[in-house]
Amino acid sequence: MPDPANNSEILRALKSAMPFQMVPDNLIQEIAGICTQQSYDSGQKIYDLGDVADDVFIVVSGSVQHVLSTQTDAGKHEKTMRGGDVFGWAAVLEGQSTRLAVTVSIEPTQVLRINGKGLIQVFKSEPAVGDVVMTRFATLINREFYVPRSIADQVPSFKQALGASSLQGSEVTTMALTVYRISTWIKSPRPYLMLIGFAFFLGFWMLSVEVWQLPRFVDMPGPTEVFTEWFSEDPYYGLSVYTPEYYKHIGISLRRIAFAFFLATGLGVPLGLFLGWSKTFREFIFPLFEVLRPIPVLAWVPLAIIIFSGSETPVVFLTFLASFFATTLNTMLGVESIDESYSRAAYCLGASRWQTFVHVVIPGAMPYIFTGLQISIGVAWFSLVAGEMVSGQYGLGYVINTAYMMIEYPKIIIGMITLGVVGYTTSAMVRMMGDYLMQWRVRELALGDN
Amino acid sequence: MTISKFTDKLFSRAALRGIVAIGIFMVFWEVGARSEEWFGHRFPFIGLVPPPTDVFVSWTGLIADPSYWQSWYMSFLRVFGGFMAAMIVGIPLGLLMAVNRTFYGMAFPSFEVLRPIPPLAWVPASIIFWPTQELSIAFVTFLGAFYTIVINVLGGAKSINKQFLQAAQSMGASQWDIFRRIVLPATLPSIVVGSAVGMGITWEVVVAAEMISGGGSSGGGAGGGLGFFIWSSYVGGSYEQIIVGMISIGIAGYISSELLRQLGGLLTPWLKTR
Repeated sequence: MPDPANNSEILRALKSAMPFQMVPDNLIQEIAGICTQQSYDSGQKIYDLGDVADDVFIVVSGSVQHVLSTQTDAGKHEKTMRGGDVFGWAAVLEGQSTRLAVTVSIEPTQVLRINGKGLIQVFKSEPAVGDVVMTRFATLINREFYVPRSIADQVPSFKQALGASSLQGSEVTTMALTVYRISTWIKSPRPYLMLIGFAFFLGFWMLSVEVWQLPRFVDMPGPTEVFTEWFSEDPYYGLSVYTPEYYKHIGISLRRIAFAFFLATGLGVPLGLFLGWSKTFREFIFPLFEVLRPIPVLAWVPLAIIIFSGSETPVVFLTFLASFFATTLNTMLGVESIDESYSRAAYCLGASRWQTFVHVVIPGAMPYIFTGLQISIGVAWFSLVAGEMVSGQYGLGYVINTAYMMIEYPKIIIGMITLGVVGYTTSAMVRMMGDYLMQWRVRELALGDN
Repeated sequence: MTISKFTDKLFSRAALRGIVAIGIFMVFWEVGARSEEWFGHRFPFIGLVPPPTDVFVSWTGLIADPSYWQSWYMSFLRVFGGFMAAMIVGIPLGLLMAVNRTFYGMAFPSFEVLRPIPPLAWVPASIIFWPTQELSIAFVTFLGAFYTIVINVLGGAKSINKQFLQAAQSMGASQWDIFRRIVLPATLPSIVVGSAVGMGITWEVVVAAEMISGGGSSGGGAGGGLGFFIWSSYVGGSYEQIIVGMISIGIAGYISSELLRQLGGLLTPWLKTR
């Protein structure tokens, strides 16, 4: 074991090396345990081409000349290593037992040697960290030594090698992360302020309606009345979480939303893409679109009832119309937001109009399209409620309106809260889907292009 | 000169194409609507809509009718009432939430819980609560614009670069100076955007609220606003007037948005690109 002063020096050297920066302290200690320090004089050869690749080196002080073999097809063969640089990575490559380079110290140099096999052994106990370190090794080999990816890809992967047991390991870390996040949240003032806020809101509602019975408030249903009704197995007005009717209303509203939303997306996205892409098409169609758009969707209600017979189609049509305008407009804006040099570059490289459309216009407009879809689902609920209140049978808007007519006031509030919850859930689903599908963009922004 | 001529020419071509498209649309509408009369066979859907010429005739009749203009006036009054109330309550609330972290922590979660409830779902509750129908329509209109304005003000104020505030503080600016010279100008653009969006929602809401609540306290066709105008035309079976009402609301909404945009441009002159 190295003495404490020496140990802290080793730790500092390890932490300064790029691949190990993310390693937690307990693991760094373990790695430090298998490190040895060594000094070289000026001009001394550290290892030669074809030597046994046993250790990985980290430069502590001084400098080392590193010359790669021509067999590696590296873009650049010579490199000078200084403090914190890592070399000798052939020791961690799979299927590589000999050195790929000649290294010579060009001044009195201190290095750390880490046994490659030992290092891999350490990481097998912590596969998630091991994979991060090895990914960083691969990047280092590829970027700083200009060695082709085929060699860099020989760094071992721990999750694959260990199969199921390693998955458990990664699960533990994500759970630890969640626990950590929750604990910091609990320690911050936020949850308590939130509870105080809710308490104020509910308290005001309860006091004004049920306790003080203020003039106008007394007609309103109070929170106790609403919640006992909502969670009662035998509801007085016939609507609670235990009655199948409640779920029927939710289901019918959801079905209308789903139908209108998908129809609006299916028609609005292509129309928006063409509007943004073709100037001629836009000049013809867009004015018409702009003439119809200022008319509030809800002003269409009577016309929709006249045109479409029955009570179901008008409601769906109104919901569709609101979504459609939002989706189309955002998609068009998305296409217009694309830097024109992208399309020009594609044309210069010989892409056809269709290829440019598929590979430049559609992916480029995606972020705006998803923003549009989020707006679209919001306005869909907005007009669905109006449509259901005016015409239609079943659905949450219908519940609210009939409850008002029949003077079953607690049902109004139940309907409103349910609408809020269901509406929020669908918006969150659309947002999550967008985030999931947009991952490529985040990744590209974070990593740059290879 | 040559550039302006060029843009004029470009503009006129685009304008021409727009007019052509709208013209084709009108002809299609006219033919479709009169299909039963002309071909003896009614086109699906479009055949049930009154033709544009009838709509136009009905409109010319209405222009002299004071009750039609009374509807305009009532709707405008409600929209501006609700909208103004939303600005007066929403802007200070948004700024307060942005400035005071404790208040933000308390008020924002409740705000977020209420926000997903569509404004129109509040109509029955607000009819029960407010003594007059006029007030209940105004309240729902207020709600429509309120959420958008608060969210926009909050977002604008939160996006201020902290270094501006720190620099001002280190040079001895008072709280009022910071608010007047940094926070207010930085949030103005988002206030303008928020109110433009809010204005659109306000028109949507006012129409629906007028339809659902049946006009307003003055009752009858005269004092009901444009939404009620549409609804009573539907109930009375004069379908041409429905279209007149729809177009009128479109124009009214467009005028209000345009006024707001001009006003916003005057308030934020530094944003003009040209």
